[in-house]
Amino acid sequence: MQYQSQKVAIPYFVGAIVLFVAQILFGLIMGLQYVMGDFLFPEIPFNVARMVHTNALIVWLLMGFMGAAYYLVPEEAETELHSPFLAKLMFWVFFAAAGLTVAGYLLVPYSTLADITGNELLPTMGREFLEQPTITKIGIVVVALAFLYNLGMTILRGRKTAINLVLMIGLVGLAVLFLFSFYNPTNLVLDKFFWWWVVHLWVEGVWELILGSILAFVLIKVTGVDREIIEKWLYIIIAMAFISGIIGTGHHFFWIGTPEYWQWWGSIFSALEPIPFFMMTIFAFSMVKQRRRNHPNRVATLWALGASVMAFLGAGVWGFMHTLSPVNYYTHGSQLTAAHGHMAFYGAYVMIVLTIISYAMPLLRGRTAANSERQQTLEIWSFWLMTIAMTLITLFLTAAGILQVWLQRVLDSPLPFMAAQDQLTVFYWMREFAGVMFLIGLLLYIASFFVGDKEPEASVKTIA
Amino acid sequence: MTATTATIGCSSQSKYPSGDLAIWVFILAELLVFGIFFAVYAFARMNNVELFNEFQQHLDLNAALINTWALITSSYFVVRAVAAIKEGNSQLCVRWLLAAIAMGAVFLVVKSGEYAHHFGQGINLSTNSFYMFYLSLTFFHFMHVIMGMVILAAVAIKAHQGGYSASDNTGVHTGASYWHMVDLVWLILFPLVYVMR
Amino acid sequence: MSEAFTKSMARNIFYGGAFFFLLLFLALTFDTINALPKLDNRAALESPVGPQIAKGKHLWEVNNCIGCHTLLGEGAYFAPELGNVYKRYGSNLDAVKGRIKGLISLPAEGIPMRRMPRFKFTDEEIAALAEFLKYASEINTSGWPPNDQG
Repeated sequence: MQYQSQKVAIPYFVGAIVLFVAQILFGLIMGLQYVMGDFLFPEIPFNVARMVHTNALIVWLLMGFMGAAYYLVPEEAETELHSPFLAKLMFWVFFAAAGLTVAGYLLVPYSTLADITGNELLPTMGREFLEQPTITKIGIVVVALAFLYNLGMTILRGRKTAINLVLMIGLVGLAVLFLFSFYNPTNLVLDKFFWWWVVHLWVEGVWELILGSILAFVLIKVTGVDREIIEKWLYIIIAMAFISGIIGTGHHFFWIGTPEYWQWWGSIFSALEPIPFFMMTIFAFSMVKQRRRNHPNRVATLWALGASVMAFLGAGVWGFMHTLSPVNYYTHGSQLTAAHGHMAFYGAYVMIVLTIISYAMPLLRGRTAANSERQQTLEIWSFWLMTIAMTLITLFLTAAGILQVWLQRVLDSPLPFMAAQDQLTVFYWMREFAGVMFLIGLLLYIASFFVGDKEPEASVKTIA
Repeated sequence: MTATTATIGCSSQSKYPSGDLAIWVFILAELLVFGIFFAVYAFARMNNVELFNEFQQHLDLNAALINTWALITSSYFVVRAVAAIKEGNSQLCVRWLLAAIAMGAVFLVVKSGEYAHHFGQGINLSTNSFYMFYLSLTFFHFMHVIMGMVILAAVAIKAHQGGYSASDNTGVHTGASYWHMVDLVWLILFPLVYVMR
Repeated sequence: MSEAFTKSMARNIFYGGAFFFLLLFLALTFDTINALPKLDNRAALESPVGPQIAKGKHLWEVNNCIGCHTLLGEGAYFAPELGNVYKRYGSNLDAVKGRIKGLISLPAEGIPMRRMPRFKFTDEEIAALAEFLKYASEINTSGWPPNDQG
């Protein structure tokens, strides 16, 4: 850490991990509801648990991105942050808004929440992932604007690197596209069409820029490879991400009342979407191979490599599996979608946030380069537990999805939805056990911040 | 950046592939997209030969021939531009580039005329699968021609300002490579969509 | 470092490519918006039941139905697809209304299976929801889902 103001990243990282825990706990509740339908009914119905699960994920990833930006932008720009106070203030605004929203989800029925928060004035609630009350959405916009202002002023004053610029483009794009969440016409097709402008163009568009720039930053730090080379890779990867991903939005326009040509456009371009992720894997591994130094923070390197592999598997391979329209005709809206969603979010975004936390947190807490040997060993365990657990979750959901599609959509006399679900119980149980394994991994991860934090730092020599 | 390329640019004459390697990554990606599009077109046509043959006759073959001529000529002009800059003649290079851009403009005008004709008849992407492919493919290529012209114009402006020399002309090679790709794609697109029966 | 592959060229390809594909996407969006009136069943929205459909969609949203169900395949995968539920119940509005009413008035305790929350809908609200689901089922979805089970 070179600049005092980078410390504002700490609350963002801590807040992100707190919400991460909430996300996983509610995920386990949902997993149990899949096999014990009336679990916690009527206190926490499935839809409420799901809102907490998905919204907590989105918010903690955003917090992670913000923390990452507050950490890396000053270092890249070689100047202190424009206003550390504004950054801290916005953290508390954001965290309070997230907490109040989750409390609202849990304490009152959703329709009451809509009433209290004045959804009538500008109805935006009740659409997947955008369930937040309209005032929370406005709050997110305010936080995002303050955040972009703060970073923008910092970059304007300092050095303008490719990493900073790409990160800024990603974050500005994120904020701009979020504005489409305020558009909610009665026409269902228009509603869905532009809903994807938020959802798809986030996760398969501008977020990839954020992902790429964080990965590039960490790789420069841990490998010591020349910035020119890394930034060149970064540009080519994000160019491919946009070339494939923008028109790739079309893979959501197959069956929602949009013209049929999207089946061609969407299939062709989304078939190319694995390419940037594949390039990212090659990039990460070749940079580590060409490293000019061994960094004592080996677990950060592990997260970076892991993110590149899991993002390729989850977003690339599992996405490709059902992206072609003739396949998607059968798999659309099945457990296969859930399988892909889980691994893609974990691989691409959860892991990149954990990468930057893993790299930055030791420095923010006063270490010169890395955590102690014991902390790192624990964190490596948590890496493998969470990653293997997520792989298992994905595999079990894939099995469930294939069987579901077969029973409910392919058979000559197809089963009704609930009858098909009954046949999948065994996979849902296995998924739930994998979920418990994930939680154990997460608890170990948190423990790695406290166990052995008084011990001396790991040094390069101690690495075999 | 310019300074570094200037000092090492002397190898550009013999360098292979010609131009910046980054553009070749991009060109390969573009050819991949077009390749998939062509394969998909062939597949769709196979399933519906009569429809494709019937509506193919509604296309204006003469316009497409003029456009083929325009693009081939423009590629020739680009070759001359590269030759000129290799001899250090920036102004000649600019003139050939402008000529190439002009041929690109001819293409755009003729193609726009065709589109105006189709749209005047109320044809759009949803009319039938032949028109869906015809309009998609040609419009996708149409945008590439515009893109290529923008690139050539950028190269021409830089050449006009004396930004290239006999020893440092990677930029001209880069722009030329892209333009040849756009031309090449048309040379496949033209027989595939307009001629093949 | 190889000079054959410059960072500035990589950057230009990113900016150029992003701009190019954004334009293409906007062009396709423009065409889609123009094509939608033939596909999206907006006639129903402009018909006398239009206000009821709008109310139904609003109810759909403020009760977070998407948190369990899919609608045209999008949403949660905990409960049945409802985009075609009108057709599944024999294209009969009364059957859809009866089904909703039955599900929300099950006893709170003692049914160990996936449960629909016990929403307190009035008859008008149930009718509005049914009209909304009927409207959704008449959108041209290119033949999806493969069968009535959704």
